[in-house]
Amino acid sequence: MEANDTVQTGPVSPLVLQIVAPGDIVLDLAKAGKVVRLGGGLRQDGDSVVVTRAGRLRHMQANNKYWVEGSQKRYVPNVEDGVIGVVVDRRFESYSLDIGAPTYAILPILAFEGATRRNAPNLQPGAAVYARVVKAHRDVQPELSCMDVSNKSSGFGSLKNGYVFECSTGLARSLLSKPMCPVLEALGKRFSYEIAVGLNGRVWVNAQEPSTIVAVSNGILASEFLTPAQQHIMVAKVIERMQ
Amino acid sequence: MNSFSGGRLSNNEKEFIQAALRAEQRIDGRRPFDARRLTINFAKEDGAVEVQQGRTRVTAIVTGTLGAPYPDRPTEGSLNIFTEFSPLADPGFDSGRPGELAIELGRIIDRGLRESRAVDTESLCVLAGRAVWTIRVDIHILDNGGNLVDVANIAALAALASYRRPDCTIGGHDGQEVIVHPPEVREPVSLILHHYPIAVSFAFFGDGDIEALDPTVKEEAVMGGRLTVIVNSQGDICAIQKGGGVGVRHSEIMRCIRIASSKAVEVTNQLKKAIEANGIERAKRKIKRHPDQSMSEAQKGKAEATQDIQMEEVSGVSADQDERREAVMEILRTEEMEEEPTISEVEEEDDIPVKVDGKKQKLNVGGKDIGGMKVEPSGKEAPLGGGFSLWANEAVNGAERNFGADSKQFDSDAIKEFEQVSEAIQGAKTQEKSIKATSSPLGLLDSGSLATMAAATVYAHMAVGEFPEGSRPLGPVFPKVEADENGQRSTLDSIKPVPTSLLDAVKKPKKRKK
Repeated sequence: MEANDTVQTGPVSPLVLQIVAPGDIVLDLAKAGKVVRLGGGLRQDGDSVVVTRAGRLRHMQANNKYWVEGSQKRYVPNVEDGVIGVVVDRRFESYSLDIGAPTYAILPILAFEGATRRNAPNLQPGAAVYARVVKAHRDVQPELSCMDVSNKSSGFGSLKNGYVFECSTGLARSLLSKPMCPVLEALGKRFSYEIAVGLNGRVWVNAQEPSTIVAVSNGILASEFLTPAQQHIMVAKVIERMQ
Repeated sequence: MNSFSGGRLSNNEKEFIQAALRAEQRIDGRRPFDARRLTINFAKEDGAVEVQQGRTRVTAIVTGTLGAPYPDRPTEGSLNIFTEFSPLADPGFDSGRPGELAIELGRIIDRGLRESRAVDTESLCVLAGRAVWTIRVDIHILDNGGNLVDVANIAALAALASYRRPDCTIGGHDGQEVIVHPPEVREPVSLILHHYPIAVSFAFFGDGDIEALDPTVKEEAVMGGRLTVIVNSQGDICAIQKGGGVGVRHSEIMRCIRIASSKAVEVTNQLKKAIEANGIERAKRKIKRHPDQSMSEAQKGKAEATQDIQMEEVSGVSADQDERREAVMEILRTEEMEEEPTISEVEEEDDIPVKVDGKKQKLNVGGKDIGGMKVEPSGKEAPLGGGFSLWANEAVNGAERNFGADSKQFDSDAIKEFEQVSEAIQGAKTQEKSIKATSSPLGLLDSGSLATMAAATVYAHMAVGEFPEGSRPLGPVFPKVEADENGQRSTLDSIKPVPTSLLDAVKKPKKRKK
């Protein structure tokens, strides 16, 4: 069960990379390998793995992980997701953040790099924060942290200035895809901006000029259902309109 | 100002919106005085419309009831506006009692319509002091994308323009009775709208020196004040409402009013076009189309589809054609008359010219006649054919079989048609029955089935090909009634147009002492 061992995968589900709907059974655990990891959108129901979210079934060979990628407005927290939240309330030990999930998330005050009781960052209600989901269970409030696993901040923390807007979870995922999303690339050629994408469907954009921020945010929102070629054309139009 | 509860608005957003506006940029890329695109969708029913501007969606539904007028205004009807802010529009809306925003919206729209006398209330009076029409506008907010007032106002106007109230006449022996005509009998009447008061809203930011037209929901959450101007296309201001704490200079207010005036002209034009287009659609819907229209490619040059309620000139009609024609008229007239069918003169309204087109006969019937026939169950049992394809198929085949150009006696012709029609509806087994009923062949059957049969006759004469199984040709659909062994009918009552029970409400005042 070490990461280096080749995990006994057994037969891979035939529905990988297919669109699945809630209720579909994707795997029979009796016939699967020794260790099967289930990500978001899947549930174990006795001996079978049942889909709970509509989307595309994905599979990762390395650790035999299955998950369903869907696109919704509402975010369902998953561990290790980077999300953008807005501080709603401050409790004694933690902040309550709105991350677009069914419940508010908890961000402990000490979950920042180098934070002690004496010098913890002081976040006001309404502050935008980029954090990582540490705990996410169905019936419990999700817990966040502004540090990565090795307790370094690595980009997490409160976001200053800029503009935050909402998009669907599917678009957020595609913005984070490894060969960079065409719209971000095209916009980057013309504008210089910085961007933080939360998998909960929130995006933070910052740039020097307000017009740049407006152009980038509208470009991203408009690119959701366009093919890469169309995205390039759309960005060209946006730039043209700005002139 | 407005609580934006669709997720918390972060401070970043608040600051950015203000900063962008100072640079004359709005977050959705619009310029400060650009409005979002407006679409107006009318529903099939009169008086229902859905309007969308950006992400904001509002539905308005207009209904009318006949009742007693206000005592201080005995010759005027009334107009009431109700708003419903559904929680599905915005997480901040609560179901149940309308909040402050809902009431304010209702009040603004009400002022714009009522006090400017946009809706003519005097024409709503039927019997002075006794019976007037009360028009009720229900505004449902479906999605809050900002600027609900403007969109709801347009929805209300469009719904009022497309609403049709039942026509009524005063009659009775003492001239005090109000008879409300159901829409099948008399075409309902539209309301009289003198002008269209259009609401145009602005949001103020900063120190009141930055304005934006048609704010989105995020802009509304950040704004310091708002101004709504209700103005019509002639430039008459019907109402002005300014809210919020920020002070605005009067020069800015005047500027906003001027801009509102020009926007109102644009919106009025768009609204009028949409209403006109809807009127045409509505008229088209009233025309019943014959099923062969869908087959026209297959049957070119054969049956002609009726486009309008037209009287076709029948030239050189021979005697037997006349008789045939009469036979069909007979079928139609019987249900109108509700009496023993006798051969009488053809009435003008039922004019169904018959045109011989080679071997096939074709009847063009004014759609309205078919649709408008009163169907009263006469208490006799008769089966109604189930479903469309059944009679269509068989009627079609029957038409090709039975309709030759042979001239026969009237009765047998009538019987033939009757056979064919009834065969289409009931199946082969009833053919024997039908022959027996010579004197009043149609008296045995229900008027309801008469409608079906008459229509079947009409469509039977269409030269059409096969209807593929399961396809639905155009044309009136009769209620699918399960016909069992004995041919029990069931839902005929639902076909009968019942005069509104408001009649009772109207009759009551007569008994009260005044």
